[in-house]
Amino acid sequence: MLEIKNLHVSIEENKIIKGLDLSINKGEVHALMGPNGSGKSTLSYVLSGKDKYEINDGTIDYNGKNLLELDVDERANEGLFLAFQYPMEIPGVQTSFFLKTAINSKRKYLGQSEMDALEFAKLMKSKAEELNISTEMLKRDLNVNYSGGEKKKQEILQMSMLSPKMAILDETDSGLDIDALRIVSEGVNKLRNSENSFLVITHYQRLLNYIKPDFVHIIADGKIVKSGDYSLALELEEKGYEEISQTA
Amino acid sequence: MELVLNLDKIQSKSVSQYAKDILDNQNPYKNFKIENYKYAQLHKDVKSEILLRDIDFSKLLDNTKNITSSISNPFDLTANLNLWNYNNEDSFFRVSSLVKRETKSVNLDTFNDRNLFLDISQINENIHISKSSTNEINLIILNSKLNDEYPKSIFLDLSNNSKLNVVHFNVSNNKSFLYFETNLQDNSYFNFISFQSDNIHTRNEFYASLNQECNFDLYGLNINNYGVNDNYSFIQHLKPSSSSREVFKSIVEKGAITNFQGKIYVDSIAQKTDGYQMSRSLLLDDISKANNKPELEIYADDVKCSHGSTVSKLDDEQIYYFKSRGIDSEIAKKILKKAFIVEIIESIKDDMLKNYSNELIESLLS
Ligand SMILES: Nc1ncnc2c1ncn2[C@@H]1O[C@H](COP(=O)(O)OP(=O)(O)OP(=O)(O)O)[C@@H](O)[C@H]1O
Ligand SMILES: [Mg+2]
Repeated sequence: MLEIKNLHVSIEENKIIKGLDLSINKGEVHALMGPNGSGKSTLSYVLSGKDKYEINDGTIDYNGKNLLELDVDERANEGLFLAFQYPMEIPGVQTSFFLKTAINSKRKYLGQSEMDALEFAKLMKSKAEELNISTEMLKRDLNVNYSGGEKKKQEILQMSMLSPKMAILDETDSGLDIDALRIVSEGVNKLRNSENSFLVITHYQRLLNYIKPDFVHIIADGKIVKSGDYSLALELEEKGYEEISQTA
Repeated sequence: MELVLNLDKIQSKSVSQYAKDILDNQNPYKNFKIENYKYAQLHKDVKSEILLRDIDFSKLLDNTKNITSSISNPFDLTANLNLWNYNNEDSFFRVSSLVKRETKSVNLDTFNDRNLFLDISQINENIHISKSSTNEINLIILNSKLNDEYPKSIFLDLSNNSKLNVVHFNVSNNKSFLYFETNLQDNSYFNFISFQSDNIHTRNEFYASLNQECNFDLYGLNINNYGVNDNYSFIQHLKPSSSSREVFKSIVEKGAITNFQGKIYVDSIAQKTDGYQMSRSLLLDDISKANNKPELEIYADDVKCSHGSTVSKLDDEQIYYFKSRGIDSEIAKKILKKAFIVEIIESIKDDMLKNYSNELIESLLS
């Protein structure tokens, strides 16, 4: 699915990612943990194709394609999805309209016809219900005056409606209350299948109790310093980054 | 031609001088200099290579009663003029239109229809429109394909308790200078929406005089214009407890210049006035320009008045967010432009007109 080799990224002359390798296969869930400022969000932005990042070295292969050559919207339509750590507010654009436009953009890209209004409404309603998002909410402007947790849920709603092949969740758990964390995790688990993959960025092992990862990676100063299975997250919880990084 | 206005009585010497120029068939704009016309560039011959679009209004005509040919009676404005007591410099547009043109009139109470259509570009005279019944009426004012050197005036008189909604489509004009003057008697209600698109050189003046407990809304929308597009408003609150609300939104691109200059004047006896004025411009490139000049002049102490203006650009972070969901940047920009102006469309009271305007704007937004 995704194969990152020797990735070096800088922003405005500051080296942030310094030789990162990561390989994610179909059907796998990977967790990425690491201290503040270690480059987790930077990696997710680079994967989604945000400009202003300079790729100094390395390759990223996405399902046989050179990911770095695709524009942001092409990557999305090829099934890459990033649930943002800080979702944008879009005043004047109704959430439901945004969702519809996103779905139809993807369908157009895939050469399919637009989804008819009724089918869309049904899909949106059922997905929103799963995430405990009210229809009132969907009539409001996208993310405008949403609470922190509501914004995160909105990201997951977008994800479940677009059903991506490769989803990156950047600290989706932070800001969610205990019930919302469970509901969102259930949403992710429901989407999980043998054909898609997840990269879950988090600071807390608690999320990983709900979304069981196949692999856990620890990133520090722009590099993966340790990889392991779920037990690594437990070990991390116990010892903290300092000690774990030293034993790497 | 007999003058309704005595030019010697006009306080502003420059206004009367320029008006005399018009009367003498001289070009008044040659050395034109009046503060309120600072950004209007009347002295310039603003040109564009663009072929102005034909915008189809037939669908609107199907749903409205066209009263354009019903405007006929010559009208004596003398009484009307005395109602006004300008506290600032007289409007050159008003004075010159009265010097240059006769005035015809129409009384909206003579029609039974709820939606009326008036094409003022078909009429060379100034137009006086009155309404005294209390039923709510929608009047569509079209002004299109004009190339007119001289200002034209539209006077609107609302009697006590009357209600009127105006939607003004000001589109595809080479040159058009309009003066709107509204007189609101006690308890009257007036909602005015001005859509301005595809014009090369325009200026619209909106003067409104509010008596007691009136409600006046003025919304302006300015898109796809090419040269200089100028809006000036002067709202005077003469009696207590009236409210006025003005919102102008402009999307400016391709080197166009959009100006908004507006004043809220509150007389010393007009306590409990509620005045709001906001002008926002969205610049799509670096060669376009927006000038905003809001002003307040308040002589009463128990009032609520606020004003403001913003100039912004499309937000790259927002466009990135759209793209990250598979929406290409052209569509993202169009949606963001629409989002910027949607407040104006939403302010249309009548559903048929709102839907129509929405579709029109959708098709005009590139
Ligand atoms: N525009 C920028 N200019 C300079 N440095 C930047 C810029 N953007 C990010 N950085 C730096 O890059 C580093 C990595 O940031 P990033 O957001 O990827 O960290 P993170 O691992 O996601 O942290 P957190 O856990 O706090 O979300 C940080 O030190 C940050 O200050
Ligand atoms: Mg981060």
